[in-house]
Amino acid sequence: MTQVTRKQLVMIKGTKSGLVLRLDDQCAYSELMSELEQKVRDEALEGTTEIQLHLGNRYCTDEQVKELINCVQKSPHLRVTKVQSDVIRVEECNRLIKENQSETYVGIVRSGQVVKADGDLVIIGDVNPNGKAIANGNIFVLGRLKGIAHAGAGGNRDSVIAASWLEATHLMIADKVETMTDELTVLSERPEMECAYIHRNGFIAIDRLQELRILRPNLSTFKGGS
Amino acid sequence: MGEAIVVTSGKGGVGKTTTTANLGTALALQGKKVCLIDTDIGLRNLDVVLGLENRIIYDLVDVVEGRCRVNQALVKDKRFEDRLFLLPAAQTADKLAVSPEQMKELVTELKREYDYILIDCPAGIEQGYQNAVAGADRAIVVTTPEISAVRDADRIIGLLEQEEGIEPPKLIINRIKRHLMDSGEALDVNEITTHLSIDLLGIVMDDENVISSSNKGEPVVLNPANRAATGYRNIARRILGESVPLMSMDEQKKGFFGKLKSLFTK
Repeated sequence: MTQVTRKQLVMIKGTKSGLVLRLDDQCAYSELMSELEQKVRDEALEGTTEIQLHLGNRYCTDEQVKELINCVQKSPHLRVTKVQSDVIRVEECNRLIKENQSETYVGIVRSGQVVKADGDLVIIGDVNPNGKAIANGNIFVLGRLKGIAHAGAGGNRDSVIAASWLEATHLMIADKVETMTDELTVLSERPEMECAYIHRNGFIAIDRLQELRILRPNLSTFKGGS
Repeated sequence: MGEAIVVTSGKGGVGKTTTTANLGTALALQGKKVCLIDTDIGLRNLDVVLGLENRIIYDLVDVVEGRCRVNQALVKDKRFEDRLFLLPAAQTADKLAVSPEQMKELVTELKREYDYILIDCPAGIEQGYQNAVAGADRAIVVTTPEISAVRDADRIIGLLEQEEGIEPPKLIINRIKRHLMDSGEALDVNEITTHLSIDLLGIVMDDENVISSSNKGEPVVLNPANRAATGYRNIARRILGESVPLMSMDEQKKGFFGKLKSLFTK
């Protein structure tokens, strides 16, 4: 009597970009796994179908996610393109918040000093030679950048370094390093109001600050106009 | 209650000891009671510059280790009655023989009796520097118009700014050679002060007499006609709180003929 209509744990929905497997987020993980295995085997498919996994409010560890993907991909016709979850861990959330925050340092970063930020870093003052500014996000210097700057230290290659006066000895963005040799600085007679970014060709390029609007439109957090 | 001022630079050979000796002498000339402390243990030479080498009996390490009282170790400079004293560094120990806490205690004790305590800091940023800075209320950073010296000054300023209980450091630019600054081969005064962005306490022109007088054990500041001496005297007056305009670098450019010419053109 209790098992009148067993609730489906794996719902299949077809969309334009392939199939969506909506996994129930209330049942036990093991139940879910067994049903998923069944469902995947049941399907009589041809070719390759792209699959999106929606986990709903279930928190899955990295291993569990891997397990789910493997389970689906046991079928030669299915390929998981995306795993979506509505929940994240508190730590991850905090990290994300930090990464999106901008930290401000007022003062001079002198020789031997290191200023670090989890997100963007705004320095109001100079960065002197042998001083170092490191950020997982972008670095903005309202002053003279004459030392070392490392933007996108976590690997974000879209990060930029902008300064009122860009005369750094070393510019680093993600895994790229550029030592500012004479050839580079010659490009601009006055290193005023400039920015550095990773160019399409994979090298660090320097351009006028005004170009950022076009180069990195996502930098702007203002949406729409007023 | 006196004031303790540490004279430091980071880089060696920019003139910390000479500056300490001359500023101490200049302050004594102004009637202040001054005690100089040489914290360069193992490489002492403030005593030589002051011409007091032969009169050392006890030293800094003897004092902190309790082998003598402070007053026994202080060497009096007879040229200034009771106004200029030196606490020499030990030559046989090393910098680890003294701890920052001991220095702080010593300086506090000396501050009761003296108007100014000038602490000559060794080069570097290790224990010797830590000792020298420990008891100081103010700091003077000495640099020369060389990039290497300015870099090290920047580092030291950064460290001093993190030190608690010490006022923002002031800058002395030493050994200025007018012709090199004019030709742009040496950094100019403005460039250095904007780069380091701290207050300029004064400038001292490069002068051969500084070396010869140091060798004789008579600080150059005793000779009022000397241009480096003027620089030191001005700095001493600024330490005392007077406002003295920055000395002009122009005059020394004229040689004998220049002076003669300006006599006629006036």
